Amino acid sequence: MKEPILKMLGISKSFSTVEVLHNVDFTLNIGEIHGLVGQNGAGKSTLMKILNGVEVKDSGNIIIFGKEEEYNNPIQAREKGISMIFQEFSLVSSLTVSQNIFLTRESHNFLRLLKDKESEKNTIKILKELDVENINPNEYVENLGTGPQQIVEIAKALSHEPKILIMDEPTASLSSHEIESLFIVINKLKKRGISIIFVSHYLREIFEICDRVTVLRDGNKVFEEKILNTNLKEVIAKMTGKEQDLQVSKRKRQIDRSKPPLLEINNLVVGDIVKGISFKVWHGEIFGIAGLLGSGRSEIINSIYGVYKKKKGEIIIDEKRTSINSPNDAIRAGIAIVPEDRREHGLILDFSIKDNILFSVIKKILSFIFINDKKASKITNDSINKLNIKASGFWQVVKFLSGGNQQKVVVAKSLVTDSKILLLDDPSIGIDIQAKSEIMNIINDFVESGNGVIFVSSEFDELVSFCDRILVLKKGEVDSIVDCGIEANMSEEILLEKIQ
Amino acid sequence: MKDSNLKSNRFKVSDYVVYISFFGIFALFSIILYDGGFLTGQNLLNITRQTAMISVMAIGTTFVLSAGEIDLSIGSIVALSALITAISLRMDLNIWIAVLAGLSTGAFIGFVNGIIITKLRVPSFLITLGMMTIVAGLARWITNLEAVPVINDTFNYIFGNGKVFGIPILLLWTVIFLVFGQIFLKKTSFGRSVLSTGGNKIASLFTGINVDKIKIAVFIISGVSASFAAILYTGRLEGARYTLGQADLLLVIAAVIIGGTRLSGGKGTCVGSVVGSLIMGMIANGLVLMNLNIALQMVFRGLIIIIAVSFSLRERKRL
Repeated sequence: MKEPILKMLGISKSFSTVEVLHNVDFTLNIGEIHGLVGQNGAGKSTLMKILNGVEVKDSGNIIIFGKEEEYNNPIQAREKGISMIFQEFSLVSSLTVSQNIFLTRESHNFLRLLKDKESEKNTIKILKELDVENINPNEYVENLGTGPQQIVEIAKALSHEPKILIMDEPTASLSSHEIESLFIVINKLKKRGISIIFVSHYLREIFEICDRVTVLRDGNKVFEEKILNTNLKEVIAKMTGKEQDLQVSKRKRQIDRSKPPLLEINNLVVGDIVKGISFKVWHGEIFGIAGLLGSGRSEIINSIYGVYKKKKGEIIIDEKRTSINSPNDAIRAGIAIVPEDRREHGLILDFSIKDNILFSVIKKILSFIFINDKKASKITNDSINKLNIKASGFWQVVKFLSGGNQQKVVVAKSLVTDSKILLLDDPSIGIDIQAKSEIMNIINDFVESGNGVIFVSSEFDELVSFCDRILVLKKGEVDSIVDCGIEANMSEEILLEKIQ
Repeated sequence: MKDSNLKSNRFKVSDYVVYISFFGIFALFSIILYDGGFLTGQNLLNITRQTAMISVMAIGTTFVLSAGEIDLSIGSIVALSALITAISLRMDLNIWIAVLAGLSTGAFIGFVNGIIITKLRVPSFLITLGMMTIVAGLARWITNLEAVPVINDTFNYIFGNGKVFGIPILLLWTVIFLVFGQIFLKKTSFGRSVLSTGGNKIASLFTGINVDKIKIAVFIISGVSASFAAILYTGRLEGARYTLGQADLLLVIAAVIIGGTRLSGGKGTCVGSVVGSLIMGMIANGLVLMNLNIALQMVFRGLIIIIAVSFSLRERKRL
């Protein structure tokens, strides 16, 4: 065994009085893909931020290539050969692809004027090495989708020719198709001898691509093993500290489809993306929509909620034709949404949990024109208990909650409105398994009291395990609607095949 | 999906609003004022002369807005720099020393703005608002509200009333500033850093850009360009007064925004800003030629600004 490229020994870090990392060791071998997992708050992000120089460790040593190194900002870290691909993209959206990749390192001519053509050529070269052909180096980043943006982010990191590449949740916002191409890219980097730390919530991905896995729990390293010598169950057990299967088992539901449906969508056309979609959702049903990025799945949900303009199509709720042209119309019709981007669309980050939840029901808690604080506190406390939101109290600002708890606040916000139709747009992006299963249990309860849910996800195993029926969407058209009840013989693999 | 990524720099009407508006307003005045003397060569040169100062300030402001900041003190800087230049000339100092004194005034105020904004991390809107008042006060105090005439003919020629091959020197100054500004913003790594700082501060920081330094630099640029505008005012009016530049701030910002620079930072163009200034100048000139009284001129000018801005700034609606 060769000397590891990176050794982090006894790393500790506290924020004010809270210790987030306790004496953590982490080693990375040359040309290895090393998975780093743990629940929200386990300390993986902090550990990676220390490695990347964004945070400074309180104690411990970092040894790179057998040499002890000290640095305290990302630029110095980069000089040591460490590059990080961030979860929230670090791109300047108003610049072009090649301008972003070579920002601060542009080539000059003798007058110190930029030679953009050369950056462009180099960008094409890097993208070609990644076998990416559909990204134009002169396109503005703001015009790219999240998949291509992620690729640009990787290209930017690669242009520094790093020895160690940290990928923080690189697949969180990608469709399964894009994930596949990302994995091809990652394996290519590995062949080139780049050592990769792969941080992810998606354990299946860890097992698919990594050579080794390290598990953190509550700031401690609890497990490290070669992938070949372990399995999913064991890793989950180490992450949670509980020897139990956290997967929510599918509930058996009787849905009476002889009665009129709760929601009926007829011939919905949105822009030139959604081309005439019709479907029905019955009382007590979770209706899934499966499709690749760009298939129009978000557009369907957002047009039902009145965010996007419909070109055509009617919405019938409880046998009544309903015209929905704005989110306000949708709320009045009893529709609530958990939007795809919780930080941008779901929450006001600087508001407290209470203010966020009450936001949607403000009219109901008024006494004359004043907010009835007793009522308000009761609603919030009920929600916090029901959804098991982990916070020091309802006054806590949501910015400081973990992803899973933030998402719970969004769900709470949509449940307190007493709506009967809930739209879920990829609700489990970037949240841990436990929070996910808690949220899903609540959703199951919600449905079983006679309400309906439309569920859009980029994770097909999730769709299969929660939905009663799934609409397979291809390029804006209905390919098929498949039964996914507990008796139906439906699996992630079958769904994946259908979608391609 | 694939195709939309390949289509690069697609044509967006909003990027060209300034040019369309320019020709639209030009055509409008040409028709309305067909006999009113709008379309004479003399009048058109006049417009470029009258707008030279606004154009120069607009170029500086383009940098500040591109970096995601705003500088409200430029109007006051004009007054103070003009007075300092004029006083230096009255003291029989060399022309270039007087010019340097004027420019240093703006550079210094810009530097102070930048330092306070970056070190204390206070929004530039508030700091430069305060600075605007301080500098306006200094301008009144320095000569006790007196105007300072400039009798140095060389100075007045170079910075005001001169002509080179029949072209007004003020127009030449505008062009020089424009060429340098545009190249500086679009073709140097400094300019690229300005745009990226305004586009995404955090990402720029992580990429290794010294964001604070960039911000201080744009305020210095803004201050210097206001001082240069002050020197042009002084040359053209053959003297300085504390009221100079008083009404310019909003005109400049409107010109830059209409020109296509993003108020929130990340996108900017000096060419657009100068065309925006010319639109402002044309409107002022046209309305005067139409013999409208001052009150009506103001109403029309405001209306035209609102119309132009709502075309260029209308938020992109998805789908």
